[in-house]
Amino acid sequence: MNPLAGLLSERLSKAQVVEGFGTERWAVCGRVPQAVVFPENEGQVAEVLTLSSEEGWHCMPAGRGSWLNGGQPPKGIDVLLSTDRMNEVSAYEPADMYIEAQAGVGLDELQRRASECKQWLPLDPPGGGGRGTLGAMLAVGTAGTLQTSFGSPRDLLLGATLITGDGRRLCLGGRVVKNVAGFDLLKLVAGSWGTLGVITSATMRMFPIPAVDRSLLFRGADVAAGAALTSRIAQTPLSLAAVELLVPGGGESGAGISSPLVAVRILESADAAAEAERVVVERAGIAPVERLEGEKSRAIFDNVGAMEGGAELVLRMSLLPTRLPELVEMIPPLEGLYDPRAGWGMRLAAHAYTGVLRVMIAKLSRAEGWLERSNAVLGELRRSLEEKGGSLVVSQGPPEIVGALGAWGETGPAAVFAERIRVAFDPASILAQGRLPQ
Amino acid sequence: MPEPLTRELRDRLRGVVGDRWVIVDADRLLAYESDGLTAYRKTPRAVVLPKNTKEVSRLLGILSQEGVPVVPRGAGTGLSGGALADGDAVVVGTARMTEIIEFDPANRLARVQPGMINANLTKAAEPFGLYYAPDPSSQSACTLGGNVAENSGGPHCLKYGVTSRYVTALTVVTYDGNIVELGGFGRESGGYDLLGVFIGSEGCFGIATEIEVQLLPRPEGVQTLLAIFDRLGDAGTAVTEIMAEGLLPAALEIIDGPTIRAVEASVFAAGYPTDAEAALVIEFDGIEAGLARDVARAAEHCRVAGAREVRTADSAEERLALWRGRKKAFGAMGQISNDLMVQDGTVPRSKLTEVLELITEIGVRYDLTIANVFHAGDGNLHPNLLFDRSNAEELGRVDRASKEIMAVCVDAGGTITGEHGVGLDKRKYMTLVHGPEELDAMQAVKSVFDPLGRMNPGKVLPDRPDSASMTT
Repeated sequence: MNPLAGLLSERLSKAQVVEGFGTERWAVCGRVPQAVVFPENEGQVAEVLTLSSEEGWHCMPAGRGSWLNGGQPPKGIDVLLSTDRMNEVSAYEPADMYIEAQAGVGLDELQRRASECKQWLPLDPPGGGGRGTLGAMLAVGTAGTLQTSFGSPRDLLLGATLITGDGRRLCLGGRVVKNVAGFDLLKLVAGSWGTLGVITSATMRMFPIPAVDRSLLFRGADVAAGAALTSRIAQTPLSLAAVELLVPGGGESGAGISSPLVAVRILESADAAAEAERVVVERAGIAPVERLEGEKSRAIFDNVGAMEGGAELVLRMSLLPTRLPELVEMIPPLEGLYDPRAGWGMRLAAHAYTGVLRVMIAKLSRAEGWLERSNAVLGELRRSLEEKGGSLVVSQGPPEIVGALGAWGETGPAAVFAERIRVAFDPASILAQGRLPQ
Repeated sequence: MPEPLTRELRDRLRGVVGDRWVIVDADRLLAYESDGLTAYRKTPRAVVLPKNTKEVSRLLGILSQEGVPVVPRGAGTGLSGGALADGDAVVVGTARMTEIIEFDPANRLARVQPGMINANLTKAAEPFGLYYAPDPSSQSACTLGGNVAENSGGPHCLKYGVTSRYVTALTVVTYDGNIVELGGFGRESGGYDLLGVFIGSEGCFGIATEIEVQLLPRPEGVQTLLAIFDRLGDAGTAVTEIMAEGLLPAALEIIDGPTIRAVEASVFAAGYPTDAEAALVIEFDGIEAGLARDVARAAEHCRVAGAREVRTADSAEERLALWRGRKKAFGAMGQISNDLMVQDGTVPRSKLTEVLELITEIGVRYDLTIANVFHAGDGNLHPNLLFDRSNAEELGRVDRASKEIMAVCVDAGGTITGEHGVGLDKRKYMTLVHGPEELDAMQAVKSVFDPLGRMNPGKVLPDRPDSASMTT
């Protein structure tokens, strides 16, 4: 046993510490931890963090490992702390529409519990999808297709317990939707990528499952036409749950890009859904190629998040929503970067209401000079998006690329606040160092 | 009396905003001695009224050089004393910052100055079929800057959520005069949600000088119904049943018997029966075709729960009439009582009836009239304690009853304030909901934005050890 794992198993138990071979599957952006620990309660989390602070070990909070390859590579990783064994739903009050669970509860489990009471947590984060844990989903903080209609993870987060880098236990927020008792530190927790502390439990706002869950799929002649159709449908004054432009990618033989679909999700009562469908079809000016109900409708949108599965490179390009056609026009230079014969080639998914276009590439081309070429193209793409007031996030990619470009672009003068906040929560700088820009 | 500004400092401030907009005369300062919570009065040292970000930045630069504390103020409609300044502080008011800076209807975005009145934004957006969702009851007077400071809610946040869901970017000036951009729609950045933590910081982190908000398409249809109950508990049951069925009304509001009687005795009389013990206003909005069924289902739940009467509105005018009793409740109570202490606790919805009974009992015990208005859908209570502030003994009872009401809310799994903020009024009750670690963390984050502690000092976080009292 390596000395680090040895010290940890003295504090916890041997069965809670993994070292050696078993640690590989917990690599973060290619970096393998010296030990993986599975605390079973908040006290043990605090113990691991306190010890790490004393020893100066780089510590990485995680759930089941769904998002470990996302974001910026860590500076170092000695201990990976998984909340996988903290997986109890501690309170579910359907009448009060909240659920309180330990961080290691899977989103799939949470949804299963909620569906028994005809409720759901209307979040469909990209990446880990249903396999991820509640805590990890909050730490990553990214919203999926339902962002405009239900909000981001931070908007549905009512309360959380956080163990800070130096082992303090903070109970933030509560169980009620309206709560302004003091500064809203919960907002900092969502999207903090583990740099402020380990989320050990969270209380989420739940919603009734709508009577009708219906998706309409329209086909566009090409990507530009699909983008135009997406914008046209999104401009209806009805509140649609989601309008997405989807380009699923080619087959194994793949030409890379396939013909696009526009997926419209309607979550309403029966009469309202019929009316919404009528308006959407009228606006589209063409008949839908497919119409999905209930579980099938939900599944197609859950898959929008899962489209990132198996991708080597995932980009998030943003501009104001009305500039979606412009975003799409910026794709061609990316076409030279990937290997069209590998897997599905390149996939696109754009969310009409937020103006975020996700580009997923199955495998980058490794032809000579690939790294320089990729970095140059992506660097130029970021520059040009920032010039237009937008952004490029390299949300997943080979460490050579993310390391060189940084996952995130310009941070601006507010970064000085961010750094001071980080130090207040993690004075020894042991947590997820490097995962966020500093 | 506050210490007057030195001539030199006064002239420097005048140099930034012009002579007219630096207020130092005692009689004009009187207008700034209080906010919507009249139990507190404090006269600021001076009031300065800038007209844009640059002026705010220059003012704060000067004031911070001199070490003068700054208190931001919008329309002064706050209900927690958050905009009150001690005698050494200067108020920076946003009354002249009322412009729309940018309006982008296609992207459903607006960028406005913080002094813009909430309802005026919706008015400006109306021709484009858009509106601004958060609608605090004071929306015809309160400013968007104040809404950002308080993370304001309103009756419709049951369905639509509070201010933080709609603010997409802020330009902020910190105490040292620095201008910082937080957030921004259409771009994603790594790092903490500084925008989110700034919203609801009650002027303690800095002054928001530009606010970018997301607007929503106006719902195609709106339908309102009013149910009258002989027992408050029955109204609570109706609310529980409506939510349990999975209906999601835009608003679910209850006013209790004492409030009904206050409204009906006032110029705002709305035609509610004065022997009733609860009036429940329910509103649905969305696609017109779906509303009729929702309304019918909600009406049915009300009847089953024991409503003696259910009224629906067929026209916009009738809709307003149904709402009148709710919207004018505060005004009506102002007519029957010199002063009001409005509490703002929130409890899990299923605990409403139980908590209301405890509040009634507290009122009896302290011999106080308590009239309740509340956002039943999200469990946000507004018990109004009626009193006369010239009666010190009564004020003492109001203070003690208030504390008990908050404790009852916390015990039920709720919190001390749902939308009015902590301000001056509830800071001494913060220890009911937060332990020393949480308060330290809040202090640490405040210090990040305001290391010297001179932005809106004496608000939100309690002095420790707890010693303050409302009557001081």
